Amino acid sequence: MHDMIANLGLGFSVALGLQNIALAFVGCLVGTLIGVLPGVGPVATIAMLLPITFGLDPVGALIMLAGIYYGAQYGGSTTAILVNIPGEATAVVTTLDGHQMAKQGRAGVALGTAAIGSFVAGCFATLIIAALGAPLTKLALLFGPAEYFSLMVMGLCFAVVLARGSILKAFCMIMLGLLLSTVGTDLETGQERMTFGFPPLADGIDFAVLAMGVFGFAEVLRNLENPEARDVVKAKIGRLLPSWEDIKQSTAPCLRGTFIGGTLGILPGNGAVLGPFASYTLEKKIAKDPSRFGKGAIEGVAGPESANNAGAQTAFIPLLTLGIPPNAVMALMVGAMTIHGIIPGPQVMTKNPELFWGMIASMWIGNLMLLIINLPLVGVWVKLLQVPYRLMFPAILIFCSIGIYSVNNQPVDVAFTALFGLFGYLLIKLGFEPAPMLLGFVLGKLMEEKLRQALIISRGSFMTFIERPISAGLLLVAVAILVIALLPSMAKKRDEVFTE
Amino acid sequence: MSLNKIESAQGLRIRSTQDFAAGLFMIVLAGLALFLSRDLATGTLRQLGPGMLPKSFAVICAALGLLLSINSLRYKGEKLAGWSWRGVLFVLGAACLFGLTIRGFEIGPLKVPALGMLVSGPIVVFVSGLAAEDVKLKELTIFAIAMTIACALLFKYALSLPIPLAPWLFGI
Repeated sequence: MHDMIANLGLGFSVALGLQNIALAFVGCLVGTLIGVLPGVGPVATIAMLLPITFGLDPVGALIMLAGIYYGAQYGGSTTAILVNIPGEATAVVTTLDGHQMAKQGRAGVALGTAAIGSFVAGCFATLIIAALGAPLTKLALLFGPAEYFSLMVMGLCFAVVLARGSILKAFCMIMLGLLLSTVGTDLETGQERMTFGFPPLADGIDFAVLAMGVFGFAEVLRNLENPEARDVVKAKIGRLLPSWEDIKQSTAPCLRGTFIGGTLGILPGNGAVLGPFASYTLEKKIAKDPSRFGKGAIEGVAGPESANNAGAQTAFIPLLTLGIPPNAVMALMVGAMTIHGIIPGPQVMTKNPELFWGMIASMWIGNLMLLIINLPLVGVWVKLLQVPYRLMFPAILIFCSIGIYSVNNQPVDVAFTALFGLFGYLLIKLGFEPAPMLLGFVLGKLMEEKLRQALIISRGSFMTFIERPISAGLLLVAVAILVIALLPSMAKKRDEVFTE
Repeated sequence: MSLNKIESAQGLRIRSTQDFAAGLFMIVLAGLALFLSRDLATGTLRQLGPGMLPKSFAVICAALGLLLSINSLRYKGEKLAGWSWRGVLFVLGAACLFGLTIRGFEIGPLKVPALGMLVSGPIVVFVSGLAAEDVKLKELTIFAIAMTIACALLFKYALSLPIPLAPWLFGI
């Protein structure tokens, strides 16, 4: 406890520096600005804004990226409430009651409740991360290669089960991601693998190129094809601050949502996506009058939004302590950290404490910023939502192009990204959800390295993964979750959760 | 979705062209990966070679693809939808043009000097904008110029990224 306070103190001394506060502010602002655009989810937002952090020192860059991430998350909720278009899976639930509230002229209250709920959730989640960071990092140092490998297997199994749509297709995407990760020079022998003898591929497929191709360009193609019926709320935004009655109604859902979202967010393999669904279902179940849900119940906004934000934040825990990204957004953060020369993992906390704790403290500051920025700027966001898509996507394109060029100052990267855009469009056409692929891609290299190490230590025996208790436990969980998800009764429930 | 009696009496046929194609796609990709990694040593379990994982992943991909195709015979699902070539052509073409013109290129007899962002920027915005069904040329032209100026100020000056603006004109 004493340590935690001292650590947080260190963190705040870093994060409260004038420059870092400014970076958190700018990050939240531009994150929201881009995230609010319909059809642009957090992954695309972060991929697009990655280059603006290049000129910064690592601490500042990460603080800004974290700000962009929260901004993008919150911007998605704004779009969900005002336009009925969820930026990503976690905002789907918010459209149900949030958009209804907006239609009834209570858009302001819905946005205000979402902002306040997110802030409360963010405060708790920051404390959870601070409390769990140090012990989990110690645990991580006990992990050998076998444990790491099993942990990643478990994470990927979770990602398969929690992906939207068919389990089999999600499995395909993970494996494809793993396969793509093996392109490039082999780390041990220096042999080139599957590069077509093409020099730019020798370093492997660039992460930013893959992410922007599949999430930036392909997404534009998808949106061009299905012109969304944009249902921008015509009614007045109304007052922003919830009334006393609203606050009383939403306090308990907000706290429950924080707890649910925060707990699920820690799970490797995108547990955060379940938070809002679970929270909404729970609120509906325990409500006195469940029929109000779907017609503008404030609990249906407060609970899921808190769960969403808590999960978004605790998803940093596996990344910061174990170095294992739990979802596509965090995979992008790994890419960003690597660009700045930081390899995420337990060593970050011991070697760069000011970076680790500074980032955690900035999470809280970022949440505060969101509250300060968003409530007064709602009017601006509404204006932005009226920009027609025919102008929006060329802007996305020039941003992406400049961004990709700037990663390595390589014009050929832009053409490569276009190629991956085509690849991503093909995947969408074939009914694949590309998010798990990105996760598989990021984990692939690390998995191969750990697998090799583990097998060298065990002299080529696969039994090592079962003989070591922690590793065996992790694999057992992985198998269990797959079996449960494939049981017919569960498969049906899973469909219901994701279609609701 | 499982089938009712009448449908199961119809025997096996492709019930989801999308899934069937997706399965084939996985198999083709896996085949390509196996072909490309054919010369890489597999190694032993004790000392994995560079080819071990690519080959294993490819085999698993192929197996999943096969399963997906077989399932598409048994379960109903989505149909394969048509492509929108207009989007692919203009959007991805615009990005390629940006890559080609920003620092210039030489392919055989074709030679383009480094044009820099002040030229590549409007190109990428304008060409990609043509992909929209409701494109308005005048509006798009103004927008292309405005976006380029905004991006030049943001990336070149505010963030000082080393991106060429117009080497042929200003030398930067």
